[in-house]
Amino acid sequence: MARDATRRRVLAIGAVTLPLAVAGCKGFGALGTPPKPAPGVAVVDHAITVETRLIAHYGAVLAAVPALASTLRPLLAQHHEHLARLRARLIIPPGSRAPDLASPAASPSGSPSPLAVPGTPAAALGYLRDAENVAASAYLAHLSAAPPSLAQLLASISASEATHAMILGHVRHR
Amino acid sequence: MTARPAARHSAPARADGPAAVAALQAALAAENSAVYGYGVAGAHLARGKRAAAVRIWVAHQNAGDALTAMLAARGAQPAPAAAAYELPFAVHSSAAAVALATVLEDRVTAAYLGLVGLSDPALRAFGARAVRTAALRAAAWRGSTLAFPGLDVPVPRKAGAPKAGRGTTAQASPTPSHSG
Repeated sequence: MARDATRRRVLAIGAVTLPLAVAGCKGFGALGTPPKPAPGVAVVDHAITVETRLIAHYGAVLAAVPALASTLRPLLAQHHEHLARLRARLIIPPGSRAPDLASPAASPSGSPSPLAVPGTPAAALGYLRDAENVAASAYLAHLSAAPPSLAQLLASISASEATHAMILGHVRHR
Repeated sequence: MTARPAARHSAPARADGPAAVAALQAALAAENSAVYGYGVAGAHLARGKRAAAVRIWVAHQNAGDALTAMLAARGAQPAPAAAAYELPFAVHSSAAAVALATVLEDRVTAAYLGLVGLSDPALRAFGARAVRTAALRAAAWRGSTLAFPGLDVPVPRKAGAPKAGRGTTAQASPTPSHSG
């Protein structure tokens, strides 16, 4: 019986909205669904993913090779600046987005899936250098889809990652 | 008569028009001042750093030529280089020469970022590559990196002045060798 009631309600809604859909070609979507995000939002989301992954790489290396801390901390600090600047670009309606954007660690319960990190300083530096280069390229992948000022931010961050890769390639470790 | 100049080209210029010309002119101006500045800096550098300065000086000349051609293709008159430029500080030492080279690359980085702000995808990609090249040179001269090259650029500092805390310092001092 309860099912019948629901069924009737659905039919009733259908009866109301069908003429709307036919007349305006908008139907349900125009009534209930929020508008699609602007194209720049997807670009920022992608960039945030890239930066978050890079920060996770740094965290894993710092845990595995603590001797590199003094070298890596300043670079990591700049990555946090990148992430903060990217997040600041988004206007997030409360409760409307996945929580992974709100918290730095995308994985549940703060235990990121372990990354396989080399244990020696030289190999760890090479590992991070590769990660920086991958990120530098990834930032430019969606350059043409971004609004102008976002494109400039992405190009600047991409260049910053490239300089990080260069510095990591020149570090002398003891 | 409202006849257009004969050299007017159509296709690539359409997307941004005057904005593209202005951004290209700004990049050309930065390249021209870099050519002048490296001429000054190179005179105060020795060995590896001097060789790097000479190599980069040539690269800036070539980049200026490329921008001149791009402006001409858009029917614009490339702004000529000045005979001399005012330097941000006196350059009488190797340290000051390195500081000047850093300032020059920071300026070039910022200028090419202007091209990234256009809507033409080709000019954006071109600008982004040039931003990267200049940022790498700046970081090599500086011995440290910036979080936002071309966007948040430190105030020009005379050589010997204490470094700001933002950059990250390498334990080695890489000689700039990134020509593009």
